[in-house]
Amino acid sequence: MSDLSVLLKSPAEWLSSEGEESEIVLSFRVRLARNLDNRPFSHIAEPEVLASISSEIKEAVLDTKKMGEALIFDMDKISESDRILLSERCLISDEMVRNYSNRSLAVMKGEKLSVMINEEDHLRIQSFESGLSVGKTFERICELDDELDEHLAFAFSNRLGYLTACTTNVGTGLRVSAMVHLPGLVHNNDIRRVIDGLRHVRLTVRGSYGEGSEVLGNFFQISNSITLGLSEADTVANIESHIRKVIEFEKKARDSLLREARTLLEDKIWRSYGILKSARLVTSKEAMSLISAIRLGIGLGIINDIRLSDLNEILIMIQPMHLQRLYDKSMNPEERDSIRADHFRALLNRN
Amino acid sequence: MLCQFCNKRDATIHFTNVIGKNVEKIHICTICAEEKGFDHLKKSNIEKGDLLAGLMNLAAETSKGTSVSKRCPGCGRTYAAFRKSGKLGCSQCYDVFRVRLDQVLSSIHGDTKHKGKIPARQGAIVDLSRRITELQEELKKVIELEEYEQAAVIRDEIKMLRDKNESEGRPDV
Repeated sequence: MSDLSVLLKSPAEWLSSEGEESEIVLSFRVRLARNLDNRPFSHIAEPEVLASISSEIKEAVLDTKKMGEALIFDMDKISESDRILLSERCLISDEMVRNYSNRSLAVMKGEKLSVMINEEDHLRIQSFESGLSVGKTFERICELDDELDEHLAFAFSNRLGYLTACTTNVGTGLRVSAMVHLPGLVHNNDIRRVIDGLRHVRLTVRGSYGEGSEVLGNFFQISNSITLGLSEADTVANIESHIRKVIEFEKKARDSLLREARTLLEDKIWRSYGILKSARLVTSKEAMSLISAIRLGIGLGIINDIRLSDLNEILIMIQPMHLQRLYDKSMNPEERDSIRADHFRALLNRN
Repeated sequence: MLCQFCNKRDATIHFTNVIGKNVEKIHICTICAEEKGFDHLKKSNIEKGDLLAGLMNLAAETSKGTSVSKRCPGCGRTYAAFRKSGKLGCSQCYDVFRVRLDQVLSSIHGDTKHKGKIPARQGAIVDLSRRITELQEELKKVIELEEYEQAAVIRDEIKMLRDKNESEGRPDV
């Protein structure tokens, strides 16, 4: 099994902010759900069946050109804190943190391509990119899927397509999602209308980095909800066109904010900057709102001495398990708030 | 607001479900969410959207009550088990519970027919089956035209394709 520290040494490449529209779109993800034919789905499979499915998939993954160099992590051979770390990096689901027996992860260095093994479906293939990099993300996953198809017999029906444990994924098994930062639309209260509009065209929108319905840091995740009756290319093109529309609305909202309330806006951004530069305790909730203001400041060209990629990386690094790993000790929430503040000051004073 | 499932506790999880033109609001307490196996909804989860849609459509689908005890011969699961967990047991379930699932699929996706990618090995079967269907239609035509020599050629080609399929261990087409 691979060494987790290899992965943790550097941030995921999809946080680089190099992609298109990356001041609004933080990341773009494409996921494919696949199952092996003639086997029970993961949630009811006996341990020995899960083990044989897992080794068959790992072997197939390592036989591909796309993922021949993959790092492999068996969830039952790493600690719970390591699993939480992987989930904070969006590589495994929360469900896999809790339900880890005979579950594995195959991931390429850089974390742009990975396969969760024996999650809800036998394979959950994920491809990540920075910004609105639709073509790149989609092509990469299609190439891997084609290669895996040469090694594995996938559960497939001519009528229903790829068969999945949950009926919400059957057909293409494709879930396309973008993480977008929409402070302008939240501020001018148009966000409700935008979300309703997206739901009307059967896209799912939810707040990210928040518990339940609370939206933290003005980050939203937009994804398709339909996987049956629409081809992969149409699904991707459809969501891309809607995301471009949202980006356009957000830009307009930012422009009008600048026109109508420039001083107020600048004050909010610079105050956030000041707090992060000097605070000694920052809760994760406050951190999200400060990050949001600074992100907006960078996007509007008001703040020039912080890189978007550093801010993206910090989103991952200030999560509880990452902080504890960085300082190699378990901490109570107040200690974490203090370390989190240190981390921000180090970032802001570095530049 | 009270949980619409137990009508006792406060609803702490709220969703809006849109199926076609129907907008439905779901309010559920954490205990009922947990009982129904949806306690993951309390936390941010990268696949939460999937689970959400699952819960929504299960809730939207009213109990029709017939043959919920029928078991899938592949995995031994019943349709009732699917309703409870939102998950099927194996790929065979899709055939066994086809009639009921078509309603569920149609309410989730607005469609019941795959229009996307076909795996390469399945593709060969689909292509073969399409070719055989074409040849059978052609055979009918030439028989009507009493072109029996041509009919014999087509008949042999169909037989050859079927044999080839069988020798490669594929299912009947």
